[in-house]
Amino acid sequence: MRDTAPLPTLLLIPTGIGCDVGGYAGDALPAARLLAAASGCLITHPNVMNGAALYWSDPRIQYVEGSSLDRFAAGELLLRPVRRQRLGLLLDAGIEPELRQRHLQVADGCRATLGLDIGPVVTTDVPLDVGLSLGASGISWGQLGQPQALLHAGLQLKAAGATAIAVVARFPDDPDSAALAAYRQGGGVDALAGAEAVISHLLSRELGLPCAHAPALSPLALDPDLDPRAAGEELGYTFLPCVLVGLSRAPDLLPAGSGSAVVSAGSSTIAIDAVGAVIAPAGALGGAAVLACAERGIPVIAVDNPCLLEVNAEVLGLEVLKAGSYAEAAGLVLALREGLAPAALGRPLPSLREIA
Amino acid sequence: MSAIALRPVLLQLERAPGPLRQQIEAALRVQGEPLRWAITAVQLRPDAPSLLQIEAVVRSAGRC
Repeated sequence: MRDTAPLPTLLLIPTGIGCDVGGYAGDALPAARLLAAASGCLITHPNVMNGAALYWSDPRIQYVEGSSLDRFAAGELLLRPVRRQRLGLLLDAGIEPELRQRHLQVADGCRATLGLDIGPVVTTDVPLDVGLSLGASGISWGQLGQPQALLHAGLQLKAAGATAIAVVARFPDDPDSAALAAYRQGGGVDALAGAEAVISHLLSRELGLPCAHAPALSPLALDPDLDPRAAGEELGYTFLPCVLVGLSRAPDLLPAGSGSAVVSAGSSTIAIDAVGAVIAPAGALGGAAVLACAERGIPVIAVDNPCLLEVNAEVLGLEVLKAGSYAEAAGLVLALREGLAPAALGRPLPSLREIA
Repeated sequence: MSAIALRPVLLQLERAPGPLRQQIEAALRVQGEPLRWAITAVQLRPDAPSLLQIEAVVRSAGRC
């Protein structure tokens, strides 16, 4: 079989909007693996890849935090794939001693068992004071009471040599909430997701480093009706392993247009101009990255993946390729990679018309 | 030392001709630096431009 050049492809499944696929504990990972095989180069974000204790590492997948993905799509950043990152571990001072120790042991385990380069470790001066909330549409948002403490600790890690940062913040426990019960049984939204995104967006944007977040929570009582999509989060004491693995090979973030960075980056960098498709849930096309790609004429593949939102191609006036599943989306990506016109694969195939 | 505050924003924006992303980010910048945003609803109106609901978190700097 001849090799076809990779077609860099963006996979976006926004966090905290209750997607059927990707709204839980890394349950879009099988779709990401398929799309990585179809495209040869998949750029996606932690919500797609993070299954708490479960993860998958694939050199064809570039793990990029959402805010950096937005800036990449806008042409402000380039991605430079790397062999490894040196991971700084940023711990919230609000984490209790035993839970903190669990997280440090996960980091040690990833060093000893997976060979990851982890350290230094910094604890914030004060508790980060994370709050959870839902927006007007019902999607997950969140607050951070002490953003300055987060940035200060991040700057300390960067100064100490960290090239990527894993953040662990203490999130509020609410074991008896109806929202958590629904989530564990496969309904509603991931209530933690919005605040997690705010933390990693702020840090990555300020420091210019790959960042991702794991919440620190007390263990939950056994739920015999646990939905398989949420099960990845109930296998251990922390959600940290997937974050460390994802960041360990996250691409460097290079400012576009800053002369020296672009020149020194050479041909191994990925720029938005090279991207051949962006894939997003059909009802969640109103995010910064999808709109930036659409403005550039990059084909948008809108996948039927029900969620809380109905911001679709029709209401936004976007032209998209529709896919009934991620398997169908993978077929479209393969067609684009092979240089096939997707319309040729559908029927009926209208006759050509001459421009009047 | 400058302090940072993050705050939620809920915005209704009438769509104007031209690229959407720039319109949204310009509207949000009035409130602060957009950190995370999304169009979360669109109301189509027969005799007027569509109305976008934007949910966002913006960052604003102050002094402490």
